[in-house]
Amino acid sequence: MVLEKLSLEGKVAIVTGGGSGLGKAMCLAMARAGADVVAAARRVELIEETAAEVRELGRRALAIPTDVTDSRQVNQMVERALSELGRIDILVNNAGIVRGDVPRPIWDISDDDWRLGIDTNLSGAFYCSRAVAPHLVAQKSGKVINVASGWGLRGGRHNYMYCCAKGGVIQLTRSLALSLAGDNVQVNAIAPGLFATAALETPEMREFFAERGRFIPVGRIGSPDEIGPLAVFLASSASDYITAEVFIIDGGGLAGGYAPTGYAPVIPIKED
Amino acid sequence: MEEFNLQGKVAIVTGDGRAWSKHIALALAEAGADVVLAARNQKGIEETAQEVRQLGRRAMAIPTDVTKSTEIQKMVERAIAEFAKIDILVNGAELQFAKPFLEVSEEEWKRVIETNLTSVFLCSKAVGKHMMEQKKGRIINIASGLALRGVANSAAYCASMGGILQFTKALALEWARENIRVNSIGPGWFSEEGVSEEEGQKDPLLRYIPLKRRGRPADIGSLVVYLASDASEYVTGQIFVVDGGLIAHA
Repeated sequence: MVLEKLSLEGKVAIVTGGGSGLGKAMCLAMARAGADVVAAARRVELIEETAAEVRELGRRALAIPTDVTDSRQVNQMVERALSELGRIDILVNNAGIVRGDVPRPIWDISDDDWRLGIDTNLSGAFYCSRAVAPHLVAQKSGKVINVASGWGLRGGRHNYMYCCAKGGVIQLTRSLALSLAGDNVQVNAIAPGLFATAALETPEMREFFAERGRFIPVGRIGSPDEIGPLAVFLASSASDYITAEVFIIDGGGLAGGYAPTGYAPVIPIKED
Repeated sequence: MEEFNLQGKVAIVTGDGRAWSKHIALALAEAGADVVLAARNQKGIEETAQEVRQLGRRAMAIPTDVTKSTEIQKMVERAIAEFAKIDILVNGAELQFAKPFLEVSEEEWKRVIETNLTSVFLCSKAVGKHMMEQKKGRIINIASGLALRGVANSAAYCASMGGILQFTKALALEWARENIRVNSIGPGWFSEEGVSEEEGQKDPLLRYIPLKRRGRPADIGSLVVYLASDASEYVTGQIFVVDGGLIAHA
């Protein structure tokens, strides 16, 4: 039955950036679907909280403090997840930073800024995939879900590290998918539009982003719990024939973009 | 997952040309929806309706030529008279066609465009009117990976599929604030029913598909359920390709 295919019972998922925002929402959605969850991120108090909420749902959970830009820490995290939970079935590469709180012209971006942006958003996904892939290949089943962004598909003014890294995440998705296809491992990306995440928790930011919702076709920004079902779908056997694909969840943003949202011309056919 | 549940929803599924309109109907029914089947092939849709009923859901089979607006209008009216509303429309009618371009007649071109593309326009218009009134609805257009890539001998087919994709995007934007979501699915190479295992092994396309098998109708069903359900509330104007990884290296 179609709904039973969505069950993640008995599976173990690693979610990087699992302490907040979309990452936390995906941890909880996958736990509700039956998975045990490893939340990995730098801020230990946040992933501890996610782990506690996963346990309240009756699933096992581990909070492993990890800086995904450090491949040694990534490898250790994966080792620990394996030794404590016995297996890994799902990897969600979600850790990322927006960086550029102040958008800067290219000549004002330092090497360090560039590296941090690329390392966190792209290299982190590569390191985690490299550490987990052998286990998925060995068990001849697994799912990798990379969180990209609409910015991986379109350009942004003064937006370098994020656009380049997220575009890279999409290409990582495709190449990894093609490479692991023969071993029954599916690799897909989710490209979220604008979502209300932890970075937006101040009232001013909330107001700012609510206002931004006016520019999105459906009229609002996304809520993190809306990404959960998509992550579950891509983590489950319901999507076994889908690989190397980018799932855009953006309230219609990328369908348009050639004219301002709401632009709806009326042009009758002129008879000669 | 509660968000995927379609209990209490009514879906119309069009198309009998592809085996999977049946599987789409059954997937929707398994997720809880009542289903209206609309296609010319009366026997086929009656059989599917029977299978839907066996799942404990209501079903209607309404013989319909989805290239004819008057027939579509009557079908929609009957569906609403019986089930009171329509929440989901799956446009699944398809005419497969391939031929060297200079041999394609104007008649053939028109039939391909009408069956594959005009039917989407006509059905979306007839059903969309009701969705606008209830300020909620889901339209799912079954296109093809050939909405995005080309294949020789397939100019008419590719044009019709590319047309469905652009139709999807434009209508999604127009109805985004009416709470109607419009998306499409792009299947890759799928199995025809009745192909034996042995014949399948000789398939020259297999080597080319990363997951090393053709798709099966059930591979589409779960995605249709996702796009038909509240789980995809923030998704609109998109195509989702289900092709075993083909398009990533195409």
